[in-house]
Order: sequence, then structure tokens, then C-alpha cells
Amino acid sequence: MSDSNYTVVARTEALPAKSSLRVELKGHDILLCHIEAGIFAVTNLCSHAEAQLHEGKLKGHKILCPLHGAAFDVRDGTALTRPATKPLCSYRVKVLGDDILIELPETN
Amino acid sequence: MTATSDTQPGSARAPGPSVADTLRSDSIAPPPPLLEQSYQFLGDAEIPFSRYTDTTFFQSEMEKLWPKSWQWACREEHIPDVGDHYVYDIGKWSVIVVRAEDNVIRAFLNVCSHRGTRILSTEGAGYSQSLTCPFHGWSWDLNGQLTQLPGRWDFPHVSDASHGLDEVSCERWGGFVFINIDPQAATLDNYLDCLPDHFKHFPLEQRRIKLHVEKVLPCNWKAAQEAFMEAYHNVETHNAPNGANAQYDIFGKYVSRFIHTIGSYSPESLADYAGDRWRSPPLTETEQLQALGVTDAAAAEQAEQHTARAVAAAIYREQMSADMGVDLSACSDSLMLDSIEYHLFPNMFFFPGISIPMCYRFRPNGMDTDTCIFDLMLLEPIAEGAEHQEPPEPIKLSIDQSYTEAEGLSWLAPVYDEDTGNLQMQQQGFKTSTRGGVTLGNYQESRIRRVHMTLDEFLDAPVTEA
Repeated sequence: MSDSNYTVVARTEALPAKSSLRVELKGHDILLCHIEAGIFAVTNLCSHAEAQLHEGKLKGHKILCPLHGAAFDVRDGTALTRPATKPLCSYRVKVLGDDILIELPETN
Repeated sequence: MTATSDTQPGSARAPGPSVADTLRSDSIAPPPPLLEQSYQFLGDAEIPFSRYTDTTFFQSEMEKLWPKSWQWACREEHIPDVGDHYVYDIGKWSVIVVRAEDNVIRAFLNVCSHRGTRILSTEGAGYSQSLTCPFHGWSWDLNGQLTQLPGRWDFPHVSDASHGLDEVSCERWGGFVFINIDPQAATLDNYLDCLPDHFKHFPLEQRRIKLHVEKVLPCNWKAAQEAFMEAYHNVETHNAPNGANAQYDIFGKYVSRFIHTIGSYSPESLADYAGDRWRSPPLTETEQLQALGVTDAAAAEQAEQHTARAVAAAIYREQMSADMGVDLSACSDSLMLDSIEYHLFPNMFFFPGISIPMCYRFRPNGMDTDTCIFDLMLLEPIAEGAEHQEPPEPIKLSIDQSYTEAEGLSWLAPVYDEDTGNLQMQQQGFKTSTRGGVTLGNYQESRIRRVHMTLDEFLDAPVTEA
């Protein structure tokens, strides 16, 4: 099911509050994060050494890389601490009923 | 009306009923530690202003106090899982607290054994399965052992053993993780004095951080904490009648306490304060109840028959039990209402009360003698056996921001702003005065003197290499 560029990637029941979920969409490795402010999506690979962030930890609005502990703001992908300096790619998210949808950039 | 006998310095007390008199007549009696009294006269010499303003004195504290004294770095619930860490900064020092394998909590200096770079950049909670320097990628496991050395061929003089992280002393009490940068420090148990015994009656392990506000204050760290060590300022600063007969206790070199009652006060204790307010006529029990936010008529009638204190405690018990899911039905009036404040040297305060459930920490703001950081937490009781939730991040306020900008402080926000207003003027006055030093009350400000005496023991102690 599609809504313009939005694609269903998960059901809300699979993503309880304060949890994260790794999903794949057309070759993109994506991490869904359910925080107090809502559901957000960022790329699952750390911008520093490309460790997989789903093996890290979601704390508040931050995802913490398991390898070197870099912190990113899942709301917009901003790199918050060293060693990361580059942001994570962030994706628009929509919730329709029980479905979680992600918008892929048009260039992809 | 005169104060009680002052034949011995420090023996005088405010006229009228004492805190102990009030606690003994409460509807539900307090646990035994709250009825203990322990005061000793410690002298009346001035405390030099230079201790608050002199950069050399500040530097001496940085070399001899902070790396040698126990301090809480975080709560255990900040680091619930293996790999969780918490960075705690104190002046030039920075420590990483880590939950390692087998539930062991360790602490290390936050500095790389290669070329001295700070390893974790940001204070507060984080997570990773190893600690890695962002400069060249040297990496250590959670036990501080060097595990990765890129280009090891160039470092034949470096071994995993020679370049582990510098471990510092780390222990736990009351749900707090304490560190002492001195790896040879005497155990925390010695240092805590009567705290473990007293707090058995009101365990801090069974609390959660409801709110954490971290604000920069415009004064030396000692001046800031000293504003919170006495209730003598309540009348003038906070326009409140209680506190003039507060009880002060000194339990040892490291621990002191005050208790000041809420919901009752001693009009006699205000005998020589300016104005007749609160004294002539004194507040009725109904008015005292209203001051606690209880305004319904039935409660007012009860208060006139019993006391505002008993009625307020009963109402708080019911409301707060329901709000927090904790059974407070047997909780004493004093714990329900009063401002009960234990101080642990050099800079920590623990409140066992239920409606005044604070925890304070005052520390230097980097290497600035004239400002400090005040951590203020509200520690709310949780049900026995309940799991700790992830604690809230601190709300950070700059030196110019008001406590009213921190959501959740409610009526406390303007009170803290009133204290902050004094501090800026005091730090300035320290530098203006030609008197030489602070004059302290023998009883009401005795806790301040005790801190300076213990501080002297640290500063005069010979510095030994760790």
C-alpha cells in the first residue's frame, strides 16, 4: 500500500513506546523509534563507523551507537556527541490507523 | 520574651516551642532518627571571604578536595543495563561511571591513556559496549582494559596492562552511585556516618527522579550551598514565618541536618524580628492550613479542633498515596510535611520528606570561582518492588534564566529564584566588604562552620600521588 511516496513498513503494535524497530525498505536500512514526541525514522547505520544502531540503545529522544557511543537525535538525525559529527539520514513518518509509513526521498 | 539561657556559647535557642516539641505532639510520631538531637559548639570565628573568591583557594579545592572526597555521580537507574554509562564532571575532573558485566558498576577518569584526550564529550547518560577515544580510536572494554590499539606495531612500549583506563573508587548507597577519584579512598560506609542508619527509615533506593533541574548560579559553590543549610533566612528572603526555630544537628565531620516544620511555626521565635506580622496576632490554624493549599471548610473546622499540621498531613497522605501508588498511611506527619535536610560533605543534600523530597548537589562550574552548578532533583517514592523507569533528562537553566522556566517546579520555582537573587549580591559583597569574613550564628549557621572545618582538613592534608 502506498500514499504518494509513503510506504507501509510496520504495524504500530510492533513498536511499543520507548522502543525501536529495524525495517528495510527498497534497500534502505531504517530504524523506527517510538519516543514520547511520536514515531521517527532514521538510517540504521551510524554516520561515524557504520555500526548498526538497532544494536544500540534508545534513551529519550537519543539513539546511542553500540560501538563508540555516539548519540543522535532521532527526531531529525542530528549528531549530538563525538565521535559522530555527521547527521543520520532522517525519513518522514506517518501513522495511518495501525500502519506506520515512511516516505523515501524521490531521488531514490 | 527572651531566648533560653546563653551561659555557654551555642546553647541559646529561639524562644517558644522547639521542633522536637512539635514532632512529639504530632498525630503520627516520626521515626526515631527525627527525634535525635546532636549539636556541638564549633567556635565563632569569622570565615574569610577569600574562601569564596580567591582563585588560589579554588585551585586548592580542585587539587585536594574534589579528587579526595566522595560524591554521587548519578542514580543507579541512569545506568540500568550493561554498557550504560554516565559522565560526571566536577571542575577540571571528569569521570565515566559504567555498568559492566555481572552488574558491577565501575568508574574511570574520562581521559585517554594515549595523549590525554577526554573520551566521552558530553556529561550525562549514554551507552556503548566499549569506550573509544574519538582522536585515534584507542578502545577499552567496560572493565577499562585496552582492547583496540590501531597501529599497534608503532607502540611496542604500550601493553593492554600499562594503558588501561584509570579506575577510581566507586560505591553505591541509597540508589546513588558515588565516586571518589582517589583509588585508595577509605570506604564510603565510613564517610556516610549516620546516613545509612537514619535512611533505613526512609530509603532513597525506593525513589525515582521526578524532575531534575540543573542551573548555573552566580556565586561560588560554597556560598550557594550555604544558602540552603539554614532556615534563618526564611522570614526575610521568603516572607515565611517558619524556620526561625528550626533544629540543627551535626552528626560528625561529614553529616549534618536541619529540620524545619511546615504547617506550624513558633510566634515566640519571631520575638525580635521586624514587624508584628505572624506574631500579633499569630496565624490561626485555618490560616496555616490555607498556606499549605488546603482551603475547604470542613478541613478548616478540623484544623481548629486539632492542628493544621495534623489535618494537612492526613490530606497529603491520602492524595499522595493515590498519586504515587505508595502506601503512606503510617507515614509520620513530619515526613509528610517538613523540610528535613541532611547534608553530606562536601556538597550533597538528601531530603527524606515526602512532600519536600529534594536532593541537591552544588559543584564548581568548570574552573570558575564565581559561579557554580546547582543540581536539584525531586525524588518521588515508588512502590516497593516497582521497577525504575528511565529517569528524565535534566532541564538545564543558564545563569540568567528563572526557575519558573522549568516546568514541574510549581510553587518552588519562585522560592528558588528568591534564593538565587541573594546569591549574586552575596558574591559581589564578598569582594566589596572590608570586614574580612562571614559572621555565623552559633546554632542556626553551625552546619556551615562544620563544612569549612572539614574542608580545612582536606586542604591541609598532604597531597599524595594516586
